[in-house]
Amino acid sequence: MSVFMDLNIISSNDKNRLQSIIETAAHLSYSTVAINYVIEPQQKKPEIPKPQSVSDIFDKFPIVQGKSSPIKVLNRLTIVASDASHFRPTNEYKNFDLVAVYPKTEKLFHCLYVFPHLSQAACMTFDVDIICIAVTEKQPFHFKRAPVNGAIDRGVFFEICYAAAIRDNIMRRYTISNAFVLMELCKGKNIIVSSGAERPLELRGPYDIANLGLVFSLSDGDAKAAVSTNCRSVLLHGETRATAFGVVHTMKKPQTPEKQEEETPAPKKAKIELV
Amino acid sequence: MVRFKSRYLLCEVCFSERSSLPLLEDKAIYNTVRAAVNRAHGDYGSAHFNIGVMVKYLNAHTGVVLIRCRKGHYQLIWSALTFITCLENRGQRVPCFINCLHVGGTIRTCQKFLVKYNRQQLDRMLLDCKTDAEKQEVRRSILSCSLSAVREEEAYEDWSDDNEEI
Repeated sequence: MSVFMDLNIISSNDKNRLQSIIETAAHLSYSTVAINYVIEPQQKKPEIPKPQSVSDIFDKFPIVQGKSSPIKVLNRLTIVASDASHFRPTNEYKNFDLVAVYPKTEKLFHCLYVFPHLSQAACMTFDVDIICIAVTEKQPFHFKRAPVNGAIDRGVFFEICYAAAIRDNIMRRYTISNAFVLMELCKGKNIIVSSGAERPLELRGPYDIANLGLVFSLSDGDAKAAVSTNCRSVLLHGETRATAFGVVHTMKKPQTPEKQEEETPAPKKAKIELV
Repeated sequence: MVRFKSRYLLCEVCFSERSSLPLLEDKAIYNTVRAAVNRAHGDYGSAHFNIGVMVKYLNAHTGVVLIRCRKGHYQLIWSALTFITCLENRGQRVPCFINCLHVGGTIRTCQKFLVKYNRQQLDRMLLDCKTDAEKQEVRRSILSCSLSAVREEEAYEDWSDDNEEI
């Protein structure tokens, strides 16, 4: 049995609701889950919320169905961007394991994947793991093949959320048509399907979603990969964002108390000598 | 050899409150699935539903349902199952979702999977038990299902040994 992940659970202030969603996900045999903080920056300077510490939600994480290890919970940030200035990777982005962007305009979408040697300052800083595809409305712009292929080469993934399709009939049509358009361009590569669930009843099992992938005209293997191996690639991409070229990884070394005691005599000595 | 091949979808109905479980009825599930297939795939889906779909087994205590479909278009009906949001039972609407556990070609394979799955569920229940009495109950049921399986295997081996000697 491969590892299944659901990388989009809308965060809320209600702890009980989060707990019940994560318990349902563990029951459906998802081994990793990501809590999504969506921000829509209105002014020039966006306020990025600090993610709730994962150990606050559960004392003891529920165990995944079919395995003996507990479910893993990550934090993810989604920026709904209509202007290039909205996306500015600051240190606060490092608090999140995954970063996603939801482009609202054509220029922003295509700018995201222009090659880094082109000197457009906004494009070079677009360091995201996931690009969300509009699900609740008709796609306002057409995709072009060149930027989509550039994104695939860089290792960025496209995400489709299915919770809107479950809630409403009309959203279902938009979801399926937007998914079709995407599949035609990228040939089923680099796609993940996630829930976007706000309530525990909106989650679906991984095999059900692999079947939904067939409705979106993915092939059998691609549909299963969209729930398992592609999600794992997204996680690894998110981890390497914090390293230098994926090779060097820095960690803060805890200061030992002995060193602090040694530091205090030294200035005292300096004072005595001066006097 | 002409044989109608079918696929059996072993599903579990999950509710948010466990109290609604005993209300499950196979007719309610049949009607709900038919309505969902009609909404999702229109007349084409309803036509395929009419041919071979039947609810073969329903367990109201655990919420397990076994649905039979024709092999050619079982994925169509399976995809409509994911869009079900509530069950209609005698005028009451119960919010739930259907999770597919296993797809098998025969009822026997689904049965074998269900036995293994229920055993796993018992193990999970043991972790959730709060009082000692509940823990004893669960431990006893786990032991009983594993011992009887061992005894059956031994009996089968004895019987086959006898036959070989003859």
